[in-house]
Amino acid sequence: MSEELRLSSIETRGVQGKKRYAMVIDTRRCIGCMACQVACKAEYDTPLGVNRTWVPYKVVGTYPNVKKHFLPRLCNHCDDPPCVRACPVDATYKVDDGGFVLQRYERCIGCRACMASCPYNARFMLPSHRTYTKINNVVDKCTFCFHRVTQGLVPACVQTCIGRSRVFGDLNDPNSEVSYLVTRNATQVLRPEQGTKPQVFYIGADRNQTEYGRDLYFRPDVMEEDRAAWSRNLKI
Amino acid sequence: MIDSKISRRTFLKVSAGTTAAAAAAPRLLQAMENQLGGKDFDPVSMTERKAIPINCHVCNIQDGAIAFVENGRVVKLEGNPEHVSTRGRLCAKGNAGMWYSYDPDRILYPLKRVGTRGEGKWKRITWDEALTEVAGKLDAALKEDPNTIMLKWGRNRTGGTLERFMHTLGSATILNHTSVCESSKKVGMEPCWGPDIETPDFANTKYVLNFGSNILEAAYFHNPLSQRIAEGRVDNNMKIVTFDVRLSNTAGFSDEWIPVFPGTDGAVALAMGHVILRDNLQDSDFINTWTNVTVEELREHYKQFTPEWAEKISGVPAGTIERIAREFALTRPATLFTYRGPAKHLYGSYNEKSCMMLPIMTGNIERRGGYCLPRGMGWPQPDPKPGKPAKDSILAHPPEYPLASHKVSHLTPFFITDGRQKINVYFTYQDNAPYTNPGSMAVWGKLYKDEKLIPYLVSMSSHMGEETALADIILPDCPYLERWEPESMPNSLWPWLGIRQPVHPYLGESRENRVLLRDIIWKLDPDGSRGMKKYWDFKDGEDYMRKHFDNVPGLKEAGGLDFLKKHGVWPIYGKLDPKTGKVVDKTGREIQAEYGLHKKELSDADMAGAVVDARGLITKNGGAIGIRRNGKNYVGFSTGDRLINVRVDEWADYGFSPMPTFKRIPWHETMKEDELIMTTFKLNVHKQSRTAAVKWLAEIAHANPVWMNPQTAKKLGVKTGDLVRVESKVGYLVTKAYVTEGIHPKVVAIPTAFGHWEYGRLATLKLKEKPQFGGQDDPDLQNVWWDDKGVHPNIIIPVVADPIGGSQGWMDTVVKVAKAGPDDKYGDTQGSWDKHYEAFKETMRYAYTGDLHRKMHPEMAAWGGPESVKHKGGHGGH
Repeated sequence: MSEELRLSSIETRGVQGKKRYAMVIDTRRCIGCMACQVACKAEYDTPLGVNRTWVPYKVVGTYPNVKKHFLPRLCNHCDDPPCVRACPVDATYKVDDGGFVLQRYERCIGCRACMASCPYNARFMLPSHRTYTKINNVVDKCTFCFHRVTQGLVPACVQTCIGRSRVFGDLNDPNSEVSYLVTRNATQVLRPEQGTKPQVFYIGADRNQTEYGRDLYFRPDVMEEDRAAWSRNLKI
Repeated sequence: MIDSKISRRTFLKVSAGTTAAAAAAPRLLQAMENQLGGKDFDPVSMTERKAIPINCHVCNIQDGAIAFVENGRVVKLEGNPEHVSTRGRLCAKGNAGMWYSYDPDRILYPLKRVGTRGEGKWKRITWDEALTEVAGKLDAALKEDPNTIMLKWGRNRTGGTLERFMHTLGSATILNHTSVCESSKKVGMEPCWGPDIETPDFANTKYVLNFGSNILEAAYFHNPLSQRIAEGRVDNNMKIVTFDVRLSNTAGFSDEWIPVFPGTDGAVALAMGHVILRDNLQDSDFINTWTNVTVEELREHYKQFTPEWAEKISGVPAGTIERIAREFALTRPATLFTYRGPAKHLYGSYNEKSCMMLPIMTGNIERRGGYCLPRGMGWPQPDPKPGKPAKDSILAHPPEYPLASHKVSHLTPFFITDGRQKINVYFTYQDNAPYTNPGSMAVWGKLYKDEKLIPYLVSMSSHMGEETALADIILPDCPYLERWEPESMPNSLWPWLGIRQPVHPYLGESRENRVLLRDIIWKLDPDGSRGMKKYWDFKDGEDYMRKHFDNVPGLKEAGGLDFLKKHGVWPIYGKLDPKTGKVVDKTGREIQAEYGLHKKELSDADMAGAVVDARGLITKNGGAIGIRRNGKNYVGFSTGDRLINVRVDEWADYGFSPMPTFKRIPWHETMKEDELIMTTFKLNVHKQSRTAAVKWLAEIAHANPVWMNPQTAKKLGVKTGDLVRVESKVGYLVTKAYVTEGIHPKVVAIPTAFGHWEYGRLATLKLKEKPQFGGQDDPDLQNVWWDDKGVHPNIIIPVVADPIGGSQGWMDTVVKVAKAGPDDKYGDTQGSWDKHYEAFKETMRYAYTGDLHRKMHPEMAAWGGPESVKHKGGHGGH
């Protein structure tokens, strides 16, 4: 067993002396502005057609009793990540200090086993063309902004979050804002039945979005039309 | 043994165990949270990116920002953490702003038209050729009449250079875009309390009434105010109630969404005022002290506006009006916000006024958590300054609209066609009228294609927009990341000054606007003998900024422009706390705003030589400087009598109701069963016309199906994705339907920013072509996966001008919607000039000079008619 794989089976939450980064997404504060999604695109020169983070929505109710719910999405940086188990070449691994689930592009063979194993659709294949970054045709994903966080900054999506819906920090530190929010509020995680131990916690997430289906959110018909165009036109 | 790598966090943990006080209050222990911004690193190389503070200018909210540069290219934009309004955050549009600079279809050298207008045939020319040609045309026009030189901008954040340019030439024909924006909101507010906008203190309020503002997606001031709304809602448990015809993201976020029939917000607001005054819930002390009416006058006036009356008009149940009115009056502090919902109608100014009466009568003005005055800052203009033009322009100040202090620019094509004013040279800057104005190509396209009416069209633009495509000559302007500009915007409770500074040299041969205007003047007056050159004596943009900023008191001591170059903004009120996202002072407490601006007392020096009249008005040297109330000398409000003018006497001069009122839109009253009202709106990731070439935004939203309620769709036999034909009295379009519960059954709504026929290859989805004007292609555009660019609705929207505010009635269009016929194709649009012209004639009938004005105002029967008022001219505006 490789070092990375062995490490990945170790839970990082509650381990003394280690950090366990987590994100709390307070949906009561999310205004659905999409700033996070665009900031992430810029941070990573992410190509069109794929996203490391995205914000689906659902309109519920019948006129005039109607409400709109947003559910920001990203990799859950699970404590028991199925993608790490699924990777045949150890390209994906878990960092035990911090809990980041990362991808090593030079090892990735593009088999997409990790994509298939992820219950959250958080992974994607990079297309052949990008603006200036020379990493293509391998699987990519959210890194919890490893490069920023390890240098003392919050992830790019948290940095720009207008409603301060996204809060980031160390769950192993009982005095951090995320520890405080997770302790003091009723929180939800996505697809808990999968046993993945997600480390993205939601406050006030709508049942309609968390309960059903692999996509975890409802797609209005207009979005279905986009999805068909995406399947038809994006070459990856 | 002590770990030599002990961190501050570990240290705090250790000390927690030994400190009893800390153990009792664990929240007092501050963890080392990661910083909220100010730095950025390359994700591959982990190296730090260079940070340059700027001011965002994708839209006009004017967020303080930072541009991160790597290998000479801006790769990331974020909010400036030292900026008191923005607090380090930017919206989706701001995060994508670098694509204005790096758009492969950007125009990077001067172009001259070689085919017919709009044919798309261009010749690259040199700057010298371009300037010589433009100066030649100006020279000829100046000989005839300086006012035949016209400049119309869509967005002007030059800090005064466009006005300086026109004043140098001696022309008053300066037009803006405000009448298609929010002008009737401004005109509703200005005569009432002075400024043209409010600052609701969302973070500290307990109750928000939102009439037709989609602040969480657009509107002034999206990012800074949205931050405070989220804060107020969760940290302060405020309630927010939104009245809108459509479930915008703001309505969807609100505790209550109350659908309202278009244009009737004012009736609902008046009925709430009725309930408040009837039940004696008003702040009598405030009304009697700070307004020009008494509680008794107001109560008497509001008797007519019953909730039952408003229910019939608006569809909002009387019980709901009663309940919300009582909640609003009994919850303190409470505030209110409006935007285009109430304002963009035939009588939008009345609607705005009726809405703002609610915080006034409940005394929520200038209180913590209330409805506050805007806080802005100014800067001096460089000397010498050109004088104002000798003669006014009819286009700039049409005499039929004397109260429209922000102009009536959307009527320009009709006025020019009618021969009201001759134009020889037409300059356009950051505008796109054939896209953004009512009538679209049927009106503005027709105007621009007529070389008799517009003999010479100069576009100062970085992009080939719908308007620029019709130009005779294109002077390649710079996007905001390459410009020097002074900035200030009242987008929070703290005033500030900021700058835009270039993040790298101009790309290609482009020149920033103030430099290219200078170059035109220098060409026109090379030796200064015409007296023009002296107003344009600066080396470059930075030199110009020095003239603005090196002598502002306070900023001067801090370092003037050099301070702004380093920090982007002044003053810096405190530090961004990573634990709360709020700005804190040196002691770690959140900074507090100053309230009660109208209650600032005049000093003895102010009062020296001042006169106080019987009403308490304090005047000095012929001008009102304050108001005496309860024995104290206050500055009051910036109106003529230093009070809130609930009764606007100037309106009565022109036969308009001086007191708060509501007028139904006549053609809405006579609508047939199968007719609907079409409204337009903006989505969170786009602005009106200039974001379609920004790839990350276009990816999120690229098409604009027409929203309709399932009840409406059922009657039409339509489901989502079906083609429908939407027909108004001036034209029709064919688009797709989007059936949603989130819209009033009598309304269909189409967002703008889509359906471009120009604006580059991405906006028009012609990506098989190559960049034409010197730009570098972006390999990522090969990943564009969407193939629907949407359909632009403006061609079927007739002009409507608010006879008071001059605003376009965007939300007044009556349409018929039907399933598309066999010959209808997606994207078909048609509009008729003749029918648009008829609509123009019709709307002029509502002007104070028109025949319908008196009919609409039976309460003003005693008015002496248009001849009784000597026209006093316009008010300027911006």
